Formats: sequence, C-alpha cells, structure tokens
Amino acid sequence: MKKLLSLTVNGDMYEVAVSPWKTLLDVLRDDLGLMGTKRGCGIGTCGVCTVIIDGKAILSCLTLALECEGKAITTIEGISSEGSLHPVQKSFIENGAIQCGYCSPGIIMTAKALLDENPRPSDDEIKEALAGTFCRCTGHVKIMEAVKKAAQPAGEGESHAPGK
Amino acid sequence: MRLPRFEFLKPVSLEESLGLLEKYGGKTRVLAGGTDLLVNMKYGVLRPETVISIKGIPDLCSILSGRDRQTIIGASVSLSELAGNSLIAGKFPAFQLAVRSVASKHIRNMASIGGNICLDTRCWYYNQSKLWRDARELCHRTGGKVCHAIKGSTRCHAINSSDTVPALIALDAKIEVMKKGQKRLIPAKEFYRDDGIRHTVLEPGEMVTSIQLPEGNGNSQSTFIKVSMRKGIDFATGSIAAALSVNGKGVSGVRLVVGSIASAPALLDKASQLIIESGLTEKSIEKAAEIARSEVGTLTNLFTTAGYKRHLTQVLVKRALSEIKEKIGRTKK
Repeated sequence: MKKLLSLTVNGDMYEVAVSPWKTLLDVLRDDLGLMGTKRGCGIGTCGVCTVIIDGKAILSCLTLALECEGKAITTIEGISSEGSLHPVQKSFIENGAIQCGYCSPGIIMTAKALLDENPRPSDDEIKEALAGTFCRCTGHVKIMEAVKKAAQPAGEGESHAPGK
Repeated sequence: MRLPRFEFLKPVSLEESLGLLEKYGGKTRVLAGGTDLLVNMKYGVLRPETVISIKGIPDLCSILSGRDRQTIIGASVSLSELAGNSLIAGKFPAFQLAVRSVASKHIRNMASIGGNICLDTRCWYYNQSKLWRDARELCHRTGGKVCHAIKGSTRCHAINSSDTVPALIALDAKIEVMKKGQKRLIPAKEFYRDDGIRHTVLEPGEMVTSIQLPEGNGNSQSTFIKVSMRKGIDFATGSIAAALSVNGKGVSGVRLVVGSIASAPALLDKASQLIIESGLTEKSIEKAAEIARSEVGTLTNLFTTAGYKRHLTQVLVKRALSEIKEKIGRTKK
C-alpha cells in the first residue's frame, strides 16, 4: 500500500515510503522528524500546522503527503540559518508576540508567506492573512505589531527568503 | 484525528479521471483542495474506498474569458486565484465577494471552486467526531432514522453553507457536469435539492468540471453579504447574493438568493418581482425585505431559530438592495 515519495523540504530531498492516508503533517513529524510544525485542530481552523508550499501558506493537516511530490515545501526549521533567526522570528521575540509558543510556527510561516508576497501589507491585509490562525495566550495584538514591525526593515535590505 | 484508510488515485487527464470515476462509482470521492472532503473523512462521516485527486489536471485549472460572452472557470481553480483575479472582480462583484468571504486565506489557497459548489451540507449533529456522534442514536445523515436537529422529522435538514453558491445562482451561472461519455450543463439554481443528504443533482460517476458565468451587458450590478459569528474561518449564519439589471425603462431583472439557512439556497422570487414592478426605491426596498421575511420557509433549531432566520433574511435583503442602489447611483454620476 505504501508509495515511494520524494519530498523537497527546506531545500533538502527526502525519500519516504508513505501510506496514501498520511497527511504532510504526519510525514513531516513522524517520518522526517521535523517537529517544528505543530498538530492542532486537524480540521483546518487553527493554522498551527501552516507550512509554505510553492510560496503559499498551506495547512499541512489537510494536505495529503502524496500530493506534495515535486513541490518546494518550507517549514519553520527552514527559515533560519545557523545562528541567525528570520526577521519575522526576531520581530516576534522583540515584540513579545510569543507566550507558550505552540501557535508561533504556524503564525510565523503565515506571516512570512504574506510578507514574501506583499512586503508592505496594510493592517487589513495582515488581518486577512492571519485570520486562519489562533493564539490562545498572548492575543493577536502583539502578533499584529510583530508582523508590522517585521514588514518595515524591508528597506534596510533584509530579505525574507528562506535561510537568509 | 487521523484519516481512515483509502486507495489514492492520481489521474493525469480529465478523460482518465472520468474513467476512474465510472469504475469506482459510489465508492469513490473526488479530491481537489481537500478542505471539506478530508475533514469529513477525519470525522468518519465519509468513508470512500478510493480517492481520485483532480488537483493539477490542466483542463480543470484555467479561467477563460470572452468566448460567447461567457467566463468559464475550471473546477480545480483555487479560491485564492479567483479572489485575486481582477477580471472576476470587475465583471462579477458578488461572486468575488463571496469567494473572498470563504473561511481563511490558508483555506482559500487550497480549496477549489468545484469543491465549494459541492460543499457537503452541515449540521450540528453531523459534522462531529465519531466519538461525539457515538453518544447519540444514528441520524438520517449517518444511516439512522431520526433527526436530532428537528425532532420527529422524517428527513435530513443539514444546511447548504457554501458562500459561492448564492452568488452563482444570482449571476445565473451554469455548472458543467461530466461523466464518461456524457456532459450536462445545469443552471446553478437547478443544481441543488432541498435534501440534507443528497443535496446536489450529481449522480454516481459524475463530477463538476467547470462553471460558466454569463458576462451580461454592462447594465447590471451585484453584491454579496455574509453574516457569521467571526469574520474569519466561520461558516455563514446567513448570506445573500443580489444581482440586478436595468434597461432604459427601469429595472429589468432581479435575483435575490439567500444561503446557509436551509438545505438548499432560497430564491426570493416574490421580493425580486416587487422590485421589478416598482423599481429600486427606498420604499420598495423596505417592502421587498418585508416580503422576503415570509418567503423563506425556514425551520428552527439548525444553528439559529426560525425567527432569527426570518429577521436576518429581511435585514440582508434590505442591506443588499440598498448597496446595489448606491452602486447604481455612483455609476450614474
């Protein structure tokens, strides 16, 4: 029943044998050991499992792993390079947008997808992009501030590209 | 929640998909975005033996415009692509507003228009995990003989909560449906049945392949309004799509469609007729809204009470028509 699948995650190629009913989230966590992407509601309402596929914020809990062949997948593990966090991650820390941290990977990936597509989003555009995510401890005001601040240094030459 | 076991089929062409659909018939499901199907499979309310993925089939991924004054949208086109398409926004405002109101950006990035048209019906007692449902007797929808939502009912009353459907009906869209060796073109308003279980006219082996939207003659206006608990994620508590066309003499056509309050979208013919007869004035809008109230044969207990649904319908009709009146006023200036 298992099918051999080659996945490109954070620029690395993986070959895994997966059952058709495994979601991308299952494979990332259980087969590839990439635990940064979290499991939440499982039905697409909380956003903690968000990864970026071909530039778009996608819910890995509702994506079959077999549908991901040949696509560029980026997870939270792939946006920082050794010793240096991604500007969105830095901004979340500096602006107190993290408490327990469970929702952070999903929200950071959502914010990154937004800023890659639209480096200077309006408040409404940020709200629209973040509407599919949930934070149950710090609230969304700090998160909004963090995303807004992360959007600003674009002019200072900082890049939102993976690993930079 | 984990997915149940199934066999996964990935055809590369429309022809191959239709062949597989015929072969597996009622024991299969078509997968495009997966945001509705996979959720219901996780809940265990749908248990197909095979899943046919139509994601990425070239014939189903395009938006074509201009031919015979029609815009044709492939069933696999994502809601994000439609939301960001300036042609759709310009020609079909109600449809674009409806697409943009669906769930969240994440879900719109994944979900297909074909999937939203076929969106499974919803009920408080049906869209729940197996563990939750096991605490009660099986209902009509899950193979039993009772309705938990409306006590004593002999049928299922699950709600059609698609946001795009009212807009497509208001804009007089047609839905192209194919099975092996056969093609049907069904007006959107005839595509739905007032039944919580078999809520579309799709037969086993058939699938939605495209949507055809007539482009009109530039003398029409449309809008869409959705009311929900939260602006993001939530399904509608009620929604309305309104389309209105004018000619030299006055209002020549009106379509008002209310969604998410019953098993099928409700066309408000009497309210629409009134606007055609007496024109679009503040007074006629008030009156049409009053008529609409009694035109929806709503039932209590499905998420909200019948009284609330009637009131909501009245408010939505008034808001939608007022918005259109304002839009027409603006274009005249």
